[in-house]
Amino acid sequence: MRSIWLLAISSWLLALPLMAQSHITYELKVGATGENTLLAGFPDSYAGEKVNIRVQTATLEHKPLTLTDALDFVFANEGSESLRAWGDSIYHYTDEAEVGWTVWRNKKEIKNRGQRVLVTNAYKTFEEYILSHAGPASSLNRKTGWIWWVFAALLLAGTAAYGGYIFYSRRKEKELTSVEQETLRRKRMGLRRHYGSQLYLWLLLIVLYAPIALIAVFSFTKSKILGNWTGFSMDLYVNLFTGKADAGLNSAIWYTVVIALIAAVCSTLLGTLAAIGIYNMRARQRKMVSFLNSVPMINPDIITGISLFLLFVALGFSQGLATVCIAHVVFCTPYVVLSVLPRLSRMNPNTYEAALDLGATPAQALRMVMLPELWPGMLSGFILALTLSVDDFGVTFFTKGSGGLETLSTFIYSDARKGGLTPELRPLFTIILLVMLVALIVINIHNNKQKKE
Amino acid sequence: MSKLLQIFSSRRTWAWPYVAFMAMFVVLPLVLVGVYAFTDIEGHFTLHNFAKFFSHSEAIQTFLYSLMIAVFNTAICLLIGYPAAYIMAQEDFKTPKVMAMLFILPMWINFLLRTVATVELFNMCGLPLGEGALLFGLCYDYLPFMIYPIYNTLQKMDNSLVEAAQDLGANRWVCFWKIIVPLSMPGVYSGIVMVFMPTVSTFAIAELLTHNNIKLFGSLIQDYITTTDLLNYGAVLSLVLLIIIGLTSFFGEHDAKEEGGGLV
Repeated sequence: MRSIWLLAISSWLLALPLMAQSHITYELKVGATGENTLLAGFPDSYAGEKVNIRVQTATLEHKPLTLTDALDFVFANEGSESLRAWGDSIYHYTDEAEVGWTVWRNKKEIKNRGQRVLVTNAYKTFEEYILSHAGPASSLNRKTGWIWWVFAALLLAGTAAYGGYIFYSRRKEKELTSVEQETLRRKRMGLRRHYGSQLYLWLLLIVLYAPIALIAVFSFTKSKILGNWTGFSMDLYVNLFTGKADAGLNSAIWYTVVIALIAAVCSTLLGTLAAIGIYNMRARQRKMVSFLNSVPMINPDIITGISLFLLFVALGFSQGLATVCIAHVVFCTPYVVLSVLPRLSRMNPNTYEAALDLGATPAQALRMVMLPELWPGMLSGFILALTLSVDDFGVTFFTKGSGGLETLSTFIYSDARKGGLTPELRPLFTIILLVMLVALIVINIHNNKQKKE
Repeated sequence: MSKLLQIFSSRRTWAWPYVAFMAMFVVLPLVLVGVYAFTDIEGHFTLHNFAKFFSHSEAIQTFLYSLMIAVFNTAICLLIGYPAAYIMAQEDFKTPKVMAMLFILPMWINFLLRTVATVELFNMCGLPLGEGALLFGLCYDYLPFMIYPIYNTLQKMDNSLVEAAQDLGANRWVCFWKIIVPLSMPGVYSGIVMVFMPTVSTFAIAELLTHNNIKLFGSLIQDYITTTDLLNYGAVLSLVLLIIIGLTSFFGEHDAKEEGGGLV
């Protein structure tokens, strides 16, 4: 439990500097003023002075748009309605003031421009832009955010403290006998190994969780673009639950749930029957069917997806909900079979026959004798099938056809390629993560209790 | 009627629907990949598609590049993952279960979303997207697949062997290389297979992580197979990938049997 708290706290701490990074500050040393179009029209002369330029950035993918283009357009059309229309046509989130740049001098804002501009995050282009407009002999530095200095200071302080401790203990050590020195040395080596390995694991975990923490942290801000912190807000959660999110997202959630349920139910039924059959087969037959069972598990999604795609093309099936469901049953069922089989080998094989001998029909014997023994395996197979189906991308991608059917995975893919995530995905996945975390903790505690008993 | 009843009461037959289903939707599609690869668009037998592949330098290059990326990624995952699994499997490590859980938990988040988040992370830190980002993203996605099987084998390992080696005078280093590493090889093999196979066949991730600048073999297959006229050529590419997958799983077959598939 303690480690989960530690991880949560450390990943949120990691997100702090990222939040502070939502804008970048440049320090511009202005050269000769004559050709300075950047700061033209202001009463003061800035020659030789230093000003700060703060830029907020956002990602725009696949757009042949550079910052230079964007800013040039702003300069030409500032204040006009066409600016907004232009922004909207490029990117549907542009109606919010996400990106802009301001010029600061002596802690006072002196120029504020392009509040409605979306720019690529090509920093280099921006630097070029400023320099080309600031006149000759100007120079530009990117300023490091203060939070990085804090991090560096903490790191330095930690190292210094550790070094001091080592120095101090070495000096004390000299007063001890050689045997005591040896035991101390061993103890210290053990401790070092212990903390070293702990540190390694934690660093790995922090890196592993950093992107996830990013999603979770930014689910609490209204900003449409991941990475722009615009203040705490629960709006995205509200939108998600009141159906105000993107229509595509709503239907994707709906389809994901429906497909997962259909696939899980079908594969549980099919897989349980198959497991009973396989268990009662002779060795050779059993080996063959087991091999067949392992094929969809070994095959990567792309192969499963493509081969099914070819099948549907060859048979002339129109692809849609039905084909996606079939495809999901294909890769879910083997896992159900594998989770039911161990339950079968644990139960007494004679009870079923005994029930038949006592006059039960096979159906009755199945329902009243076998099912009570098998259901834990079936349940875990069902849950496994659900999660596999929800998580799948590759197979769905090739079997969904072109009729506009999207599951969450394919929706995210097309969304990301368009150049930005629908913001309501952030709260959705934060919730999923929390549910998973709670479920895993509960299962863990439950297992521990069972072991103790 | 009684014969029919007898057939159904023999439980062996209960697997038949599943076998039929698998024959239809697993075996037949795989056969079809081969059939499409050897036919032209009108359905006549031809070897033209293969000839096209071997003279298509872009495809060959992409294929080799993907193989290289997959090998690199597997090596990085092994280098990072083995120590982690080793530390967790130590006897004096107090919370191995929670740790193992924490390493697996990120996999429950949709991998595309994680990839997009990785892209954003790179953007925010001002790091360029490209080959480095691709390797980071792949490693990030598949590291748990490496840690888990190795951890499993190491945990099941008989510790008395290590103690015996120590009693006989082996130092930690010798003990690690001569006892622990050979004993953990089954886990390493299955980890390699479980990381290599999805990496070599990956698509979608590469495009997101490199701003469409780097194309892997999976994406190439996707491009061809979804173009109606080039479907047969796409089948050839899939067949090539299928052969690689077959070889890899054959490599993993010998030692990884018990460990594979344990990760869910």
